[in-house]
Amino acid sequence: MRRETMGIILTNNDRIPPITDIRANSALPVAGRYRIIDFVLSNMANAGITNIGVATESNYSSLMDHIRSGSPWDLDRKNWGLNILPPSLEKMTYGAIKGNIDMLAGIQDFIQRSPQTYVILSLGNNIYNIDFDDVIEKHIESQADVTTIYTDMTGADERELSRFTMLELNDDKRVVDIEVQPYYPKTSTAGMDVYVMEKALLESIIDECSARGDSDFVKDALVKKIDGLHIYGYEFKGYTEKLDSLKAYYRANMDFLKKEVRDELFNPARPIYTKTKDQSPTKYGAEADVKNSFVSDGCVIEGTVINSVLSRGVKVMKGAVVKNSIIMQDSVIEENVELSHVVFDKEVCVTKGRKLIGQESYPLCIAKGTQI
Amino acid sequence: MVSKDCVAMILAGGQGSRLGALTKNVAKPAVPFGGKYRIIDFPLSNCVHSGIDTVGVLTQYQPLELNRYIGNGNPWDLDRSHGGVYVLPPYQSAKTEEWYKGTANAIYQNLSFLEGFNPENVLILSGDHIYKMHYGEMLKAHKESGAAATIAVMPVPWEEASRFGIMNVDDNGVITEFEEKPANPKSNLASMGIYIFRYDMLKKYLEDDERNPESANDFGKNIIPTMLADGEKMVTYRFEGYWKDVGTIHSLWEANMDLIDDPPKFDLGDRRWSIYSRNMALAPHYVGEHAKITKSTVTEGCYIDGEINHSVIFGGVELGEGSVITDSVVMPGAKIGRNVIIERTVIGSEAVIGDGAKIGVDKSDDNKYASKLCTNDLVLIEGGANVSVGENIYKGSMVEA
Repeated sequence: MRRETMGIILTNNDRIPPITDIRANSALPVAGRYRIIDFVLSNMANAGITNIGVATESNYSSLMDHIRSGSPWDLDRKNWGLNILPPSLEKMTYGAIKGNIDMLAGIQDFIQRSPQTYVILSLGNNIYNIDFDDVIEKHIESQADVTTIYTDMTGADERELSRFTMLELNDDKRVVDIEVQPYYPKTSTAGMDVYVMEKALLESIIDECSARGDSDFVKDALVKKIDGLHIYGYEFKGYTEKLDSLKAYYRANMDFLKKEVRDELFNPARPIYTKTKDQSPTKYGAEADVKNSFVSDGCVIEGTVINSVLSRGVKVMKGAVVKNSIIMQDSVIEENVELSHVVFDKEVCVTKGRKLIGQESYPLCIAKGTQI
Repeated sequence: MVSKDCVAMILAGGQGSRLGALTKNVAKPAVPFGGKYRIIDFPLSNCVHSGIDTVGVLTQYQPLELNRYIGNGNPWDLDRSHGGVYVLPPYQSAKTEEWYKGTANAIYQNLSFLEGFNPENVLILSGDHIYKMHYGEMLKAHKESGAAATIAVMPVPWEEASRFGIMNVDDNGVITEFEEKPANPKSNLASMGIYIFRYDMLKKYLEDDERNPESANDFGKNIIPTMLADGEKMVTYRFEGYWKDVGTIHSLWEANMDLIDDPPKFDLGDRRWSIYSRNMALAPHYVGEHAKITKSTVTEGCYIDGEINHSVIFGGVELGEGSVITDSVVMPGAKIGRNVIIERTVIGSEAVIGDGAKIGVDKSDDNKYASKLCTNDLVLIEGGANVSVGENIYKGSMVEA
């Protein structure tokens, strides 16, 4: 059955300046050694899906460099495998991508050529570890036209909820109303931007929407057809975070310091795969003092690191103190530097004795390659 | 046929019995080393960095783990359409069926594999040494000299020279005499067990050697002395750098410790010569509130809430609060409870150490685990072994699963 399913990932361009200036949001480094897209890709690969298209909008060189042949996910296949699909200029309605329908129309050939019956369409940039096999099974059992995955956010702040596509479900879990990022949400069931349907239905939606100049898969197709289509919800009860703002990005990284989050997301039965860099193990010096931190390989730590997430190859020199921070690949923190609540993109270098302090509600975010 | 300039053959069939319980279920080249590697990663990575893309790995003893580890060779960039890595176990044929009788016989039995690549030269390596070496430089020197064979040598301290195979050379590096473990060495240039042969010469001498029923079919004992006696031109290639035979528990432990000295005697951090290994797809390691890690290396998948000093910790290791590890090597997936004290110990993969256990701290003459393989007061806990809550394991012990 799972070989009957294909995956489509529409990479996202939510803006988190300056770290998304140089890359698609889906290619953002997260949890030390990963990129956001690793989670959905691994979820699909773990469900045995072997035909996956990754549609890109712009800024996709970093994404391509990360995914390449797809071998970390075992997706370098003779038949199908992983396909990176750059945008098709011809299919854009007004010379620029207006919405995800444009992206889907641009990859229509790929969709048509694929022999699978079902498709998992994943928009967005959530991190989570889900059993997609079960989702497809429930989708077929329920005879739904579309199954969409949601998470119950009862108790969350209204402003938090307005970031999501909010669903209203009846007792049978049928979706009776959808509101995309409403200012005053009516419910607390937040969509995770994942849709399962028959491939033929997706094709007809794309065709119909682009013929009418419509641009949004949710607002123009699902919302308008809510009475005709049987759209059902599938509740995901695990950990998920949507990385659409610096605040959410910072919070999600910090969540990896919690044991229950790590245990769930890095479930050994459904591993999260990523590109390997063959870096040597992390070295701790004689004066190293590291507490409550998540540390990738290839780091050299001679200073103090507390409540922080370090990507691969980060150097923390003697006397430096890093607290509550996210430091991406190959950044260098020299002697006696003091950092608190900062987000460093790759290859940032802070020279001796400097001090950079952000706030939890407003972390200080520094662009790739900056010398301070 | 596309012919290869040089094909490498790694001798990986040895049992490595001096490593005791570490090689009970795996061949020596598959033994974990250096935090995230296995011994075989070193010759394999050296080959790839040296531009050698065709490698035969000759296995015999407990090959399953090694086969699975090497797989299609992708981690070393050795999944090639023409060439790549091949695991070569002994096999039955219409005329013969036999195990590899010696190092030379192992290559002899795979001459048909080599024929398939029509190589100019064959590089013979052993699968149990830790070093970084550019075989391409050696190959260049070999070709320039026009020698039938080139043997890599390194200077060793004179007082240790009688433990090695010693090459006596003239001023041009041409070998005049080879002495296996001489009582009174005339030179301190030790053979590293790394040879490059011109393929035509190798084939001729292997075939001759096979016809000699008296021969032990060994490169050091038979092939090289015979070639010298026949007056073939054989030269040395001097290697200066870190090289270690990790054949004993003590030398394996010591080689791991060499990585964490300050500065390290052997540095794996050089990204121009990365050592590749099969990735376990584990998350970054988590360092807890009660942890204190100094002068050590820690890698992916670990959960550390105790104290680690001057030790090498492999992937997926768990260490509970209140535990203290010093001067030790902890292999992948070992689970160590709370308030455990471990000193000068090698803990095998997936071993489980109960709360409050004490390992390698005290000494006793009445030690049921005493093993003469565990020299220098070291302790070895076999992979998968269980050490009970509160148990005291004395220095010099080997605890089997």
